[in-house]
Amino acid sequence: MKRLHLPPQIVRLVLLTIGIVGSYLVARYFLTPPSFGEYGWYRGSALAELASRDQVYAGTKACDECHSEEYQKLLGNSHKTLSCEGCHGPSKAHADNPDVKPEILNYSHCVRCHEANPSRPKWHKQIVARDHYTGDRCTECHLPHQPSEAP
Amino acid sequence: MTNELTNIVVEILPRFEGYVYPNEASAHPLWGFLIVLYPYITGLVAGAFIMASLVRVFKVKALEPVYRLSLLTALAFLLCATLPLLFHLGHPERCFEIMITPHFTSPMAMFGFVYAWYLMAVLLLELWFDYRQDFVKWSQTTAGFKGIIYRAFTLGVTDESDAAVRLDMKMGWILSIVGIPSAFLLHGYVGFIFGSIKANPWWGNVLMPIIFILSAVASGIALCVFNYMVLTWIRRHTVDMRCLDTMGMFLFYALVVDASVEALDWIHRIYSAEEGFNVIYYMAREKLFYTLSIGQAAIGTLLPLLLLGSLQLFRKHVPELVRRRMYFASASMMLLGVLAMRWNVVIGGQLFSKSLRGVMGYKLEFAGVEGWLMGMVLLGLPFVILTVFVKLFLSERLPSSGHEPHVNLPAAEKA
Repeated sequence: MKRLHLPPQIVRLVLLTIGIVGSYLVARYFLTPPSFGEYGWYRGSALAELASRDQVYAGTKACDECHSEEYQKLLGNSHKTLSCEGCHGPSKAHADNPDVKPEILNYSHCVRCHEANPSRPKWHKQIVARDHYTGDRCTECHLPHQPSEAP
Repeated sequence: MTNELTNIVVEILPRFEGYVYPNEASAHPLWGFLIVLYPYITGLVAGAFIMASLVRVFKVKALEPVYRLSLLTALAFLLCATLPLLFHLGHPERCFEIMITPHFTSPMAMFGFVYAWYLMAVLLLELWFDYRQDFVKWSQTTAGFKGIIYRAFTLGVTDESDAAVRLDMKMGWILSIVGIPSAFLLHGYVGFIFGSIKANPWWGNVLMPIIFILSAVASGIALCVFNYMVLTWIRRHTVDMRCLDTMGMFLFYALVVDASVEALDWIHRIYSAEEGFNVIYYMAREKLFYTLSIGQAAIGTLLPLLLLGSLQLFRKHVPELVRRRMYFASASMMLLGVLAMRWNVVIGGQLFSKSLRGVMGYKLEFAGVEGWLMGMVLLGLPFVILTVFVKLFLSERLPSSGHEPHVNLPAAEKA
């Protein structure tokens, strides 16, 4: 029987390919995270990592415990569906320890909803902030907890 | 953080026109200038390879002088093709994860396979078989660091027998044939990514992969003309006019086919006038006027068509110097035009609202990750790599196409 004789170029290329694919497989074996594919195409341990992160939001109930007066005012007005921390920022640290002050507001959060945009419904109050008022304190004229009332 | 977000709203919303959803208010489109460069560079790779395959597969002997230059151009640009994507990522250091956990159902993740196949199984192999004999020769005559490089590239095979050389040529031919559909796959894939987004009327179009491939072929040949003329100019060599005329001819054909299919795309869009047509028409007329009408249509298509077309008709009456300048101008304009086309596709598709009733704006910044300075660096880098390749692998005079421009013809005939 005639012995199969491969040309030297092909032999070297086959060896090189085996080398490249082999080192890839070795690298893949060591670099793939152990929990990968446990539940799907991601690291299974990522779920536990995300769940173990510190919470930053306290929730409206926690605000109500100390600031029930403001909260009751809010409930009686058109901003009643807004969460306290939507405007005041994440406040878990403040709720746990009142000495930690929450984020200082510069009132630019008002325009997040009230800057004019044709895609918002017509009944929604809208302004072009730059033409409307040049200062940065909306509360000089408006009461965010009771928007329908004048100060 | 809260204030940063709301400040963007005040800055961005007044720049919008018409009905734009609030959640579309971002300072820049998600895909900026770097994503424009990515299809541009892969297109140049595919086109330069098609140019090289004209010599090997279709036996166009007149293009022999630019065969190796085209392949090296394709390689230099392919090595940089992923860089715009890499720099675009928020976490570029995680890029290896795509290789560690390859995925077969995501079209974007498939690029890893397409790229690896094209680089490792097609381009590098074809170059190796083409250069193997030279590597053996250079490794014996060159000392120092260059000699070590050449010896490493022989992979220890020093066989120069007739049988071995025949095998090299046969493998080169097979790889060229495999390479043509692979080059189409490489760039058709990029068009597919855009063409399969059916929610976006600017992108969702079955002609998109074909338009991408055809414009890639046109831009790749233009790049080879550009590189060939610059290389001969730097080396103070004479341009092989037979080769250049043939490249000009193929450049013209590629441009004719590309322009026809792109025109067909527009005619189809205008005639069918689907629900997104108004916003598309507005974009073409207003937002993309300079890049689409001036850049892509006038500079990138009509002017080169006129120049190259007139050369096809009156080549014999045009002096060599004028012809050379016309080819160079056409190639440069086509390179700009295809860049404008990529811009129109990538940026254009993000400039209108999902409501199809409003448009956003985009201003290209100078510095910054997606700025044009970064873009110029990424476009310059393949030329730097190509210079190194030319120094290492193309130091000898380019082969002739069989035409000696400065030989006195009657005397040569007598001889």
